Amino acid sequence: MRSIFTIFVFILLSASTFAQVRLSGKVTDSKNNPLPGANVFIQNSYDGTTTDSIGNFSFKTDQKGIQNLSASFIGYKPFLRKLDLDSAKTISAIIILQESEDQIDEVVINAGAFEASDVKKAVVLRVFDIATTPSAQGDIFGALGTLPGVQKVGEDGRVFVRGGEGYETKSFMDGMLVATPYSSKMPDMPTRGRFSPLLFSGTLFSTGAYSAEYGQALSSIVDMKTNSIETEDKSSISIMTVGLMGSTTKCWEKSSLSLNGDIVTSGLSNKINKQQVDWIKSPLGIDGTVMYRQKTGKTGMYKLFGTFNNSTSEMFYPNTQLGTIQDIALNSSNVYLNNTFNRQLGENWMVKSGLAFNYDHQNIDLDKDQVATNQKMIQAKLLFSRFLNEQTELKLGADWVNFSYEQKIRMDGNYRLPFTNNELSGFAEMEYKLSKKFATRLGFRAENSSLLNETTIVPRFSGAYKTGDHSQISLACGEFYQNPENDYLKFAPQLKPEKASHAVMTWQYLTELKTFRVEGYLKKYNNLVKYTQPLATNPLDFNNQGSGHAEGVDIFWRDKETFKLTDYWISYSWINARRNYKDYTMSAIPTFVSEHNLSVVYKRFLPAINTYASLTYSFASSRPYHDPNLSGFMNAKTQSYNDISLSLTYLMQMFGKQSVLHLMVNNLAGFDNVYGYNFSNTRNTAGKYESTPIKSPFVRQIILLVSIML
Amino acid sequence: MKKSIFTLVLVLLFSVGFANDTYQKAMSQSIEKLFQAKTIPEYVEVANQFERISQIEKTEWLPLYYASFAYIMISFQEAENAKKDQYLDQAQKYLDQAMAIEPNESELYMLQGFLYPSRFNIDPMARGMLYMGKMNESLEKALALNPDNPRVYYLRATMTYHMPETYGGGAAKALPLFQTAAEKFQIFKPKTEISPNWGKEMNEAELKKIQETMPK
Repeated sequence: MRSIFTIFVFILLSASTFAQVRLSGKVTDSKNNPLPGANVFIQNSYDGTTTDSIGNFSFKTDQKGIQNLSASFIGYKPFLRKLDLDSAKTISAIIILQESEDQIDEVVINAGAFEASDVKKAVVLRVFDIATTPSAQGDIFGALGTLPGVQKVGEDGRVFVRGGEGYETKSFMDGMLVATPYSSKMPDMPTRGRFSPLLFSGTLFSTGAYSAEYGQALSSIVDMKTNSIETEDKSSISIMTVGLMGSTTKCWEKSSLSLNGDIVTSGLSNKINKQQVDWIKSPLGIDGTVMYRQKTGKTGMYKLFGTFNNSTSEMFYPNTQLGTIQDIALNSSNVYLNNTFNRQLGENWMVKSGLAFNYDHQNIDLDKDQVATNQKMIQAKLLFSRFLNEQTELKLGADWVNFSYEQKIRMDGNYRLPFTNNELSGFAEMEYKLSKKFATRLGFRAENSSLLNETTIVPRFSGAYKTGDHSQISLACGEFYQNPENDYLKFAPQLKPEKASHAVMTWQYLTELKTFRVEGYLKKYNNLVKYTQPLATNPLDFNNQGSGHAEGVDIFWRDKETFKLTDYWISYSWINARRNYKDYTMSAIPTFVSEHNLSVVYKRFLPAINTYASLTYSFASSRPYHDPNLSGFMNAKTQSYNDISLSLTYLMQMFGKQSVLHLMVNNLAGFDNVYGYNFSNTRNTAGKYESTPIKSPFVRQIILLVSIML
Repeated sequence: MKKSIFTLVLVLLFSVGFANDTYQKAMSQSIEKLFQAKTIPEYVEVANQFERISQIEKTEWLPLYYASFAYIMISFQEAENAKKDQYLDQAQKYLDQAMAIEPNESELYMLQGFLYPSRFNIDPMARGMLYMGKMNESLEKALALNPDNPRVYYLRATMTYHMPETYGGGAAKALPLFQTAAEKFQIFKPKTEISPNWGKEMNEAELKKIQETMPK
């Protein structure tokens, strides 16, 4: 009993010795601005308070001895300081909080790059934007055409960037190379991307001076990031005027599986929506895609992407050059497999590994002749990254691509044109953030080609400086090599890689809902493939003496804020480009370049009729072409290009299921666009080279689609 | 000897009881303040209180739950989108910490389902599809862990109410959902005095509003 009493006495005594200490002071940022609402407290105690409207705090504590004074505020690093509470009855402190690195307004290196992402917050485009841009018709590469720096080349469909050819844009999926990203095409008709935009949660599109991680691309890269693990079982079917689509997704705790399939044929729609093409067999395509995702351990993620495509078509092609009508039959098959595995390695390292396989077979029957082409690619890639400290990130990577090509030609005799190339590359890149406002990145990339027997080492540099809360200025430059196109290498494997140098300067203003950027660039080409006659086949006819340059300004404005329920963007590009390559007799503006390019994309939700309407207007100034009837070289110009495309998306309930009705109309106004002319190889009786204009296969293209979520 | 052991045990019990009492008291006071808060500074102040409690009571998920809840409420008050996202990041941070302590709590999944719609409200056209799916997933998990969690029913009813009719939303579709939620609130008993116990009044207010506007 007595001991209990002593305890009480002891507690009372000690309580009385808990002399309260008053702590007061101010919390500010590094520029001495007060921070109201900051949490100030003695660590591991209930004692603390919130700073008032001018950043002041004051509170009492019963704690004793050496304690930690702590302060925290959103967007700032937590503060901790040791205090001796026995030292005085009142303690005052000025607390200065440092901004944390993961704030969203941190400087991001982005010269030359457009990023579309659903994951990151402040980006120029979202995946949804790509899927609903009418002129794109659901094609990723088509949507990129509404961004500045991209030329309108209607008869080709590939992405032509800043005075570069279509082949100079390389496509990647989760960082792995896609050797054949476009579907096979008939002459003078545009191609499309093989992949649906809905399979991706983001796209990195760079129009120049990209990171050392990417190689073998002279002008541009498109890196598509596939969706992460799915979290919801779902299925849908779609019926289109051009075919059928179906997809289903099944999820488990740590994995998900998605299957997509479609059959696309323009047979039915050709009867209604007449094409200016004489089809013998309307295009028929069958596609299948499988995606599997598996989480492993705490940080591991395995992704498998596989796709298969087969397409056939046959047409009568009026070949102006030869002055005959040819029967062309196209049959192609394509398989692409992409495996990636990412995980953390120990405390500091992140490892990304990938294995990709691409097989493409294309068979063309040309009257009685036949051309069969097989391409096979295997790629293995390994990338390590780690933060050396809070400011410095190091990336190291190695990449091996085995590519084999074989073309068999049956044309008054049998010919076989095979080649194999092993491309071994390595890169190292360091990103250093001097402060929240200033970041630089320096990298090197080395590439060795077994076929060309050539090793190249190139530097890449970029830097960015924040000039305000939402604005920044960036600078990037670098050198880029790419092996000559397969169509040249098959004849002349002794060629050297082509080379480009880029310098890019950007000013950007970016908020969640508004973007403005101006980018100026200089580009120089060397070692471009040149040949002495138009249809060269002799290895000695080819050399690397071509060259060229391009300069220009790209402007982009996007605004989702000013008008209610409205989102619009405007892209404008001005370019000055010259090339002396292929069989050019002198330096000239290449045929795919138009000096001015403009795109206006307008999207608006109409709540009254539950419809999402999108309109695109595209303009490109005239393109040069060579008219053999006139003197000189590249001596004529086409009319300028105009297009208005519309899409309407109507949301509704059908059979009690959520459904979407989607209507797309290309070239609504029916502009008669001419992309260029094909000329006859020989003079007619009047001594003239006859010509036919190259046009779109459609005057207007109309596609209707109904999707039902099951 | 026996005696001193006895006193030691007593002291321990006493101090434990004392500590727990402080926690209960601090929580009750803060919860009361939370539901009285109206302005951003008031919410920040109470969120800070919960943060302070959470850094002592490292095994309790409730202080983090309420801190997260406070930041979601702050995001509703904030006009600027970039800041909204920042507040929701903070809410998500607390919620993740709470989930790490108590991975199988229905209320935490419910709160996650409450957080996602705030994200897609910032940019509905771009974010809608992504966060709608995530929200449904969270609410399903919340129901699997506690089929009678009334706040899940309330949130579903609210979402349905605000969705256009063509998506399967609207007042008529929402009415029975609010009624079910009301029934669930009627039978709901919070586990402790400081366990989540909000939403009943909001549900009743919505229910009343619909019943008044709907043609009889």
